[in-house]
Amino acid sequence: MLNYLVRRILIGAITLLLITFVIYGLIRNMPGNPLDTDPAMMDPSKMISKADLERLLAVYGLDRPWYEAYFTWLKNACTFEFGTSFNVKKPVLSLIKDAIGPTLQLSITSLILTYLLALPMGLYSTVRSGKTEERAMSFVLYMLYSFPSFVAALFLQLLFAIKLGDTWFELPLMGAHDPDYESFTATERAWDSFKHMILPVTCFTYGSLAYYCRFIKANMEEVIRQDYIRTAKAKGLGPIRILIHHAFRNTLIPFVTLLGLTLPGLLSGAIILEQIFNWPGMGTLFFDSIGTRDYPVLMTITLMFSVLTLLGQLMADILYAFADPRIRYN
Amino acid sequence: MAALLFIVFLSGVAVFSPMIAGTKPIVCKYKGSIYFPCLGYYYGDWENPIFQKDKFRRVYPRNLKQKDPDSWAIWPLIYQDPYRPVRANEWGLGEEGNPYDAKGAPSSLNLFGTYKTGFDVFASMVHGTRIALLVGFVSTGLSALIGVCIGAVAGYIGGWVDIILSRFIEVVMCVPSLVLILALLAVVESPNIFHVMAVLGLTGWTGMARLTRAEFLKLRESEFVAAARCLGARPTRIMFRHILPNSLAPVLVPIAFGIAAAILVEAALSLLGFGISPPNPSWGTVLNSGREKLQSGYWWQLLFPGIAIFLTVLAYNLIGEGLQESTDPRLAGPRD
Repeated sequence: MLNYLVRRILIGAITLLLITFVIYGLIRNMPGNPLDTDPAMMDPSKMISKADLERLLAVYGLDRPWYEAYFTWLKNACTFEFGTSFNVKKPVLSLIKDAIGPTLQLSITSLILTYLLALPMGLYSTVRSGKTEERAMSFVLYMLYSFPSFVAALFLQLLFAIKLGDTWFELPLMGAHDPDYESFTATERAWDSFKHMILPVTCFTYGSLAYYCRFIKANMEEVIRQDYIRTAKAKGLGPIRILIHHAFRNTLIPFVTLLGLTLPGLLSGAIILEQIFNWPGMGTLFFDSIGTRDYPVLMTITLMFSVLTLLGQLMADILYAFADPRIRYN
Repeated sequence: MAALLFIVFLSGVAVFSPMIAGTKPIVCKYKGSIYFPCLGYYYGDWENPIFQKDKFRRVYPRNLKQKDPDSWAIWPLIYQDPYRPVRANEWGLGEEGNPYDAKGAPSSLNLFGTYKTGFDVFASMVHGTRIALLVGFVSTGLSALIGVCIGAVAGYIGGWVDIILSRFIEVVMCVPSLVLILALLAVVESPNIFHVMAVLGLTGWTGMARLTRAEFLKLRESEFVAAARCLGARPTRIMFRHILPNSLAPVLVPIAFGIAAAILVEAALSLLGFGISPPNPSWGTVLNSGREKLQSGYWWQLLFPGIAIFLTVLAYNLIGEGLQESTDPRLAGPRD
């Protein structure tokens, strides 16, 4: 097992190098550089001389071709020195630290909600499979699964913030906090955060909820047909014990690997939804840095995302080996 | 089944879009000859230059009657245009142009309302169907082509080539696709529909590559391959004539889901403002305009494209599910 782990980590490191190399090249070759997109520079009365321009480029490290600059970045990254953002003159790590809180707020809440709701619903639809109410629930879930989340976000915004505004049902349109957040007491802050979180969390959750529900149902259907379940029923065990103690454990295997694969999504945030709700998270940071060609921020976020993806896959495989004693890596 | 019918209906709408909603007549007889001006919607050069020479300026009804009293024309069902707002007095009867903003709610003149400065939503959606389906099919076709080829080569040849190609697939899979799409679209100054299709195709092939590779690894050991090799067939022939037709079944499922995903990504890109440059109509651009004016509550700009996207994605998901159930050996019932 240790052998396998070490091998996976080494191959992962090579893959990581390749990914960052490709992304760096791609980003550097996008037309425009941070100096072009800076609004202060666009002011025609402030045209700077060529010498100044070159000096600025050297300060930002942009005067060398991208394959050379890549190795400088790599050397810095190995010592965890990720540089300063071009756009906002703060270190990249502090920007990420500010942005990661809101993103985690949304993604962990929706993850917990998803699992809490999907498990009972999935088990229920297995048990009552074929009956009318289960069919209706499956139908609704399938509709929800196909409903694009950004369209739902827009509909919900329209309904709750605009049409139902000034009524008791009103929910705030965008942002994570009220403008006078600082002056609120603790309970008022909590309530305000909660109100702002309702719409985004709903949009994040319903898609994955529908998917997990159907996933659990599909796997349980397969497990229930096995012989050992029939034996358990013949032995006279109660239905709940059969369902949870015998059947459900065997569906944990694919379910638990899903957990590993959702890890990168937790921290990267859904870019589109964050844009629609104006939520100050990682997705917005990422999107803005693409627009302003903010290379240090872009590279750091990409690095983080790739590390998380590879870690997530590794974790999924390891959990798979733990959950299923038939699988042995050697 | 219903999903298939819906997709056929959508394809019909897409193909016949200029005849359903447009400002150019389907057939008209002008100065003694018969022309088909509506074909100009498909491709600009197909519109006959005589209309430009006679200074029609794209307004057909009034000018046809004025310049040639003997002309007749068969008009599309709805006289609206996705590329421009209908201005006042186009029919020469003194009627008004398209209303916009708050007055642009759905009415008998504009079935689904208007957006921006008077562009008709219904016409945009009809013509947008063409773009949506085109993007879906072509980009998924491109991904399938790339994915199947890479997967086939990796699966069949094995050894070093397999390891290198698998690493490559992993690298492309780990890159967040939105980054890749935005970066590639930013390289081109003003993306048109072909750029969007190419970029979407180039980023979505990894799932199919992995599936094809697994199938090829499995089928490589089968007897018909051994027989073909004994007969002296070259590797290319074995790969594409013998193994490939047998391994295509599992790949059809991600293709169906991929079309749905491509349509979604295209709408999302247009929503963010990165999609096809204006004035090309797309479902996402109507959504974008609705989102910008969200405070004013123009619900028709959000509702209709939203429902259209939802129904299309639903239809493709249903088709994918159906394909999955029919090709999955575990769910196969007793054979008769």
